[in-house]
Amino acid sequence: MLLLAPQQGAAQGVLRGTVRSTQGAPIRGAMVGVAGSTLYAQTDAGGRYRLAPLPSGEVRVRAAAIGYSPAARVVTLAANDSATADFALEPSPLELTPLDVVSTKLPHFGDNPSTSITQVSPEEIDRRAVNTIDEAVDKEPGIQFLNGQINIRGSTGYVQGLNSRVLFLVDGVPMNQGDRGGINWDLVPVDQIERVDILKGAGSSLYGSAALGGVVNVTTRDVPVGIHERIRLTGGMFADPPHSVWNFRDQPGLQGGGDGTFSYGTDIFGASVSGGARHSDGYREQDDQRHWQVAAKSRWQAAPKTRVDVSGAWADDRYDVPLSWCTQGQCVDLGQAYQPFKVDTGGRISWTDSRKGYVAAQARTVVSEHFAWQARGSWSRTDFFDQRRDTSEFGISNRFGAELRLEAHPDSTRTVLVGSEATFSDVTSDVFGNHSQSEFSAYGEVEQPVGHRAGGRDGARLNAGARIDFLAVDGGSLSAVVSPRLGGSFPLGARGAALRASIGRGFRAPSMAERFVNLVASEFGLRVIPNPALLPETAWSFELGGRTAPFLTFLRADGALFWTEAQDLIEPTLIVTTDGPVIQLQNVAKARIAGLDATLLAAPLAGRLTTSLGYTYLYTQRRVPGSPHTPLAYRPGHQVKLSADYSLGSASVGADFRFASRPERIELEGFVDPRRVPMKVLDLRAQWAHGPLALRLLVANILNYVYNLVPQTLAPVRTATLTAVWSH
Amino acid sequence: MLGTLYRVAAVALISASAFAACDGGLQPEPICGPTLIGICGTIHFHGTIPDSTDNVFVAAYATFPQTCTDLIANRRPFVPGSVPYTDSVADYSVTLPPAVYAWVLAVWKKTGTLTLTPADTALLRVAGYYRNPADTALPGVVTVPAGGAAANIDFRVAFDSLRPATDFVTCTAR
Repeated sequence: MLLLAPQQGAAQGVLRGTVRSTQGAPIRGAMVGVAGSTLYAQTDAGGRYRLAPLPSGEVRVRAAAIGYSPAARVVTLAANDSATADFALEPSPLELTPLDVVSTKLPHFGDNPSTSITQVSPEEIDRRAVNTIDEAVDKEPGIQFLNGQINIRGSTGYVQGLNSRVLFLVDGVPMNQGDRGGINWDLVPVDQIERVDILKGAGSSLYGSAALGGVVNVTTRDVPVGIHERIRLTGGMFADPPHSVWNFRDQPGLQGGGDGTFSYGTDIFGASVSGGARHSDGYREQDDQRHWQVAAKSRWQAAPKTRVDVSGAWADDRYDVPLSWCTQGQCVDLGQAYQPFKVDTGGRISWTDSRKGYVAAQARTVVSEHFAWQARGSWSRTDFFDQRRDTSEFGISNRFGAELRLEAHPDSTRTVLVGSEATFSDVTSDVFGNHSQSEFSAYGEVEQPVGHRAGGRDGARLNAGARIDFLAVDGGSLSAVVSPRLGGSFPLGARGAALRASIGRGFRAPSMAERFVNLVASEFGLRVIPNPALLPETAWSFELGGRTAPFLTFLRADGALFWTEAQDLIEPTLIVTTDGPVIQLQNVAKARIAGLDATLLAAPLAGRLTTSLGYTYLYTQRRVPGSPHTPLAYRPGHQVKLSADYSLGSASVGADFRFASRPERIELEGFVDPRRVPMKVLDLRAQWAHGPLALRLLVANILNYVYNLVPQTLAPVRTATLTAVWSH
Repeated sequence: MLGTLYRVAAVALISASAFAACDGGLQPEPICGPTLIGICGTIHFHGTIPDSTDNVFVAAYATFPQTCTDLIANRRPFVPGSVPYTDSVADYSVTLPPAVYAWVLAVWKKTGTLTLTPADTALLRVAGYYRNPADTALPGVVTVPAGGAAANIDFRVAFDSLRPATDFVTCTAR
């Protein structure tokens, strides 16, 4: 008989083993554990895991990994002894979301999440041969990047880096910038990333501020047992403009870089260090970019029940700033109304130094299979210096965070999570001033089954939670925001079909940059003045979704209807003062974002061909008292993402196609060049792996489709990149 | 059978994607291009360019401004770009909403930061304006049609006879 929970025993043991595919390849990043308990572990690069302390007796251990069918087995563990259990997982490209680690802050095994979750697997990151993680996340359905700003189902729009309505986590630690609230996508070297989990919809009930439109959690690679080295070299070339009248240089632009990682680990201790650099000529005039980074991570099994992880990274960038493309008269325009590859005269000699880093420490103690606690502390720092033609700006920001979380499983079907979090951010800047912001919060969530389970299948599950955040600026009075959430999942049959529904409230505290920015926006020639009285943005998010069981032997579908009602959205507003017109960020708008997010997966040809087709429809409405309702700026109504990969032995080829319709509206229309077109980008890639060596070729935007997603900012042209990875 | 069908469908989808991407995208656009909504034409520059020149831009007014406040507040575009003034002849275009414009002019700007207030007139001079072909002593009226452009809006800029705004409107002292 299969047991659903470990049997309670006074003595404990250790379970070791491997998780491999049925072809024998080790699976890294697989989760192994006991469902409904505090006991779980993740496999390393060799597919190895160590699960301790397990109660003696019979336990049902389950292994799951993205792209594989989960497997479970009953293991008998003698008191104070160790045992081995190896798992062989069947490849299953139709497996949609086997792990739910974002939405509840807890790992679940094969549960149906109550809200939409997308995961970027290690294989996807590898085969896409990307340099920063946003390039891989950008291929996921329902997600669009606008000049570095992530939109999950149209959440953020484009606000020139002044905030993000998506929360960015690294191993569960919030990493949005302390001053601007934006996201540094190159903070973690891509070679250190194990996988990315993306929660779509409001997640503030657990994660607090910025989780208004979703959460992106980057999980970094665990340190494997043994000695491992990895070297990654890349080189590439940018295409010339497709029309000779747009040519801006005589030689093709090049890019290249390399990084390396060394790690050593035992069962008790492990550490890794990595470093790397890259350089790019860029695809536009004045687009040179230089980057270097270092990162380190260590793990320590301080006691049989306690594991401590310490990680950190530092990245340094200098990049030229093509502020905006050249419009007629602002450069040698060759008789053209605009020159998208050239920078205008006002943007010349502009560059930015950007440095960012973090250190985070986490400790997790598994008191028993029913109870665990976790504590973390973190410090992140951003530092920028902008040099413009006539002026310069700087900003230094620190963000300190701490969290204590308690995890309880009263029985194998119920989970209770409570925690408390504190964040302190400060900024020193000539454009934002010297300020600080504090956030204190407490949260709790409960998940449990509803009704009876039949035939050993999982039944319906409900989860409910809430979080209260207290915010203070410059040590002033506290204001509170409450974020509740209710969700449920309802299995339909035994083959994985399920319905899900959730409703939750999200919020985003104004960043210190939004409150205190005071500068002249050179692109508009207008002064931007502070508004310390800004209120948090809030939104109610509702989702009703479901996924089918596999049908026609190789197809599976997932879809969700979503609806968000947002209030007090912060937007730049043109106001007239006694000194003339200025821009101020104000809580001006209510907004509605509704739509459909659907994905069709197919894996015919015995799984050698895997494809996905994603479609997102967005209906948006901006409502400002006294003004006609208009669509929200920078939200395309239709997005299509098509992906296909064909593998044969050690070689594979693949393609990604992305389409986004032309945004109906942009902000500050009339002040910027209104030209914009739909996005239609086709990427092709090929991969060959043999032993420790892997070669990957990526030709991004192979049709050299010239487009822009935000005003006067050209998106990347055709870029060919060859990547070689050697792992040992 | 299903696999073959699927292969065909996948190839068709990728081909359709490629075909779709071949069509469209940003295209080169001559200054007086077919997608322009606004005005375009040629400016002839005469005289010596003053050392204090920052730029020269083209602006339009739906009604002839009466005050310095009108000059700034009713200007279209509100934040104009420059035209290349160092050549003796330059083509230009300006994006404008479809409307009838009573005054289209070239404005010379000396070095200094605009505040977008009437005080800006201290930095600005009228360098030339589009004239009524029937009576060149008068400003010409320009109509920007819906979805199109008014072409051949040509005029002359004389750097040696830049005129202050007070020659045209009434400015109260600030």
